[in-house]
Amino acid sequence: MARESFDKEIQFLRMLALTSGAYSRQQFADRLGISVHTFDKTMRRLKEIAETAGQLPKEEQSLPLAELLRTGYYESADPVLLFLFRSKSVKESESIRLSQIIIALQGIALTAAEVLQQCCDGMPEDMAMPDEKTIRSDLKYLEETGVIRKTQGSRPQRYTADNRFITELSDEELGDLYAFIDVMANTQIPSVQGYLLRDSLKKTLKQRAVAESSFFYKYHYPSRILDEAHLYPILKAIRDRKRLSFLYFTPKAQQSYGSKNTNPLFERESEGRQHTALPLRVTYDHQYGRWYMLCHSGRQGIVIYRMEGLTQLQESDAVEETEFEQKLQALQQKIRFSWLVDTGRTVKVKARFYNPEGSAANFVRDRVRLQGQWGMITEESDQTFIYEIAVNGTMEIKPWLRSFGSSCEVLEPRSLRQEFIEEWKELAAGYEPVRENL
Amino acid sequence: MSLFEKIYNYQMIARLEDAGAIAVTAQEREWLSDMLRRPESEHAFSPSTLVKLRALAAVDDSIDIAFDENEHGSAPEAEEILEKAASQTVQLYHPLLRPLREALTRKTGLQLTYAVKDGSVRERQHGYPYKLEYSMVKREWYLLWFHLRNRSVMTTKLQNIAEVAAAPIPALQAKAAKKRMTAYYASKQQQAVIQIMPHFNRELSRILYAFSCFDKEVSYEESTDTYRITLIYLSDESDFVLSRIRFLGKRILVTEGDYLRKRMYETAHKSLMRYGVTP
Repeated sequence: MARESFDKEIQFLRMLALTSGAYSRQQFADRLGISVHTFDKTMRRLKEIAETAGQLPKEEQSLPLAELLRTGYYESADPVLLFLFRSKSVKESESIRLSQIIIALQGIALTAAEVLQQCCDGMPEDMAMPDEKTIRSDLKYLEETGVIRKTQGSRPQRYTADNRFITELSDEELGDLYAFIDVMANTQIPSVQGYLLRDSLKKTLKQRAVAESSFFYKYHYPSRILDEAHLYPILKAIRDRKRLSFLYFTPKAQQSYGSKNTNPLFERESEGRQHTALPLRVTYDHQYGRWYMLCHSGRQGIVIYRMEGLTQLQESDAVEETEFEQKLQALQQKIRFSWLVDTGRTVKVKARFYNPEGSAANFVRDRVRLQGQWGMITEESDQTFIYEIAVNGTMEIKPWLRSFGSSCEVLEPRSLRQEFIEEWKELAAGYEPVRENL
Repeated sequence: MSLFEKIYNYQMIARLEDAGAIAVTAQEREWLSDMLRRPESEHAFSPSTLVKLRALAAVDDSIDIAFDENEHGSAPEAEEILEKAASQTVQLYHPLLRPLREALTRKTGLQLTYAVKDGSVRERQHGYPYKLEYSMVKREWYLLWFHLRNRSVMTTKLQNIAEVAAAPIPALQAKAAKKRMTAYYASKQQQAVIQIMPHFNRELSRILYAFSCFDKEVSYEESTDTYRITLIYLSDESDFVLSRIRFLGKRILVTEGDYLRKRMYETAHKSLMRYGVTP
């Protein structure tokens, strides 16, 4: 059987999360390049997974999936799209068997024969009884995943569920551990494994009647965790110095699987076709919550891909260590001054910032200091300070500078200053108050 | 090992939960053991718990090697990942999180000593905690609480709190405080409509990403190829909403939301004056 791919589910959930209900079924299907029938089928399946995995209360089960993704925006820190990682298909008999084994091994150690006996007892009557060979291969799988471990001691070999770091903690310690995992999963990347762990721990807390901490996190990008699906195969390829081949769809296109558009931001345009490239680094952009894969490709040199456009990812041949090192150094040289991932010409950007009037807290300066990356701040007067940075191109830093509104005046380069003037003119016209006709 | 494992399957998880069983994989423990190596963990646990946890996590290190040979096996934190344009972290794990978390779960009152914006200090004020909130933008923790004497809703940076002590209050008073807080936040909810200029539809993905950190609904009008984002936010978040709107500039237009429109008009005017241009 071919390896199950989750490309469709990832694309599907991303579009659903970003456009939340904007499209009709037909429009949605068209944009993903699937039929309405496939759309309905995928929607039904994902909804079933979301409901089962989230153990949703009855009143929420009737909600459409798009609504489900919205509920609890202010009420919970649960990552709404985590259920994607629960979508691997498993045959019912296997799913019952594996869960029977794990249940049997909670807190005690059993031999394979004892596990087999327990499984047979626990199987529904209309299902075929597992044989010893199957149970042994299940045990091997569970041991590989780390869910169970062999206990030390004489033969025959015994197995037990590996929950030591949960069972050996007091209730109070468990509460602290949950809080820690919650904070780290929500604020650090990568986070999917942390969220999965948080899910398991939440259930333990419930069983032990320990109150779970409820922290809230503002301004998260929910769809960022979808890209972690590709992250691990990419990291592995980087470590193994292997090329990856994949079908790439540039997110700049109107349709995920269709029209051709160029992307002036990056070294080379890349759209809807087969690529092979050597991955060197991965970048996470906190401004938008997006991931990039930074590669070297034979003919084109440095190529930068948005991770959301990657599909059908497959490992290809390996390169020599020296070649990898050389390409990596070339990349590091090129991205030294990238605000995000731009590898264009380095320019000096200079801007004057105005301290807020009549406010004790200098939130302008604080924000420049916290977000201005490697830029330098020098004092100019009581009212102003100067910010200078060498950066690749002005496109990526521009939105950030603009977000300060009238607290920021671009001084250099002249061309950027002129662009700001033109844009503020346009905005002034766009937001002109509507005058009443007298 | 992949993030899409049989062991994570939704039916499996539901079966385990029904039976009260737990299944934790080696890659989850690896993630934890990496996080436990970070300095923040020292604020999260008592020293003895931390020693215990690190030891339990260290047991897993022997599995690491076996794991790397598996498909997609990898350690969670990686030099291969570069983070860009993040706010510098002011604080990730504040020492007051533990006592405040406890006060929240026990629903007890608090006595707080804290500094306000102008630097002056308010001593031993009685309050009732409502939420602990972390801003991914400011990278700081905030306590949302009810000031019992002033009957006002407060937001205080944990950084500015000097002292916290439990100060029990009657259950009835706690309930009333919570009700006041909930009503307050409900009354502060605002709505605005942001239109994406059709000319910039090719940047749709970027624009939608930029707004994906808000509670929002998107509509699409096929005849004019126009997208509109209805944003739901609290009025004290207006400044952050505005910074996002300015971030995207002429790609979008606030079509409903008088306050945001007025502020954008003022900003554009004032900016032009900075450049010596008469609007």
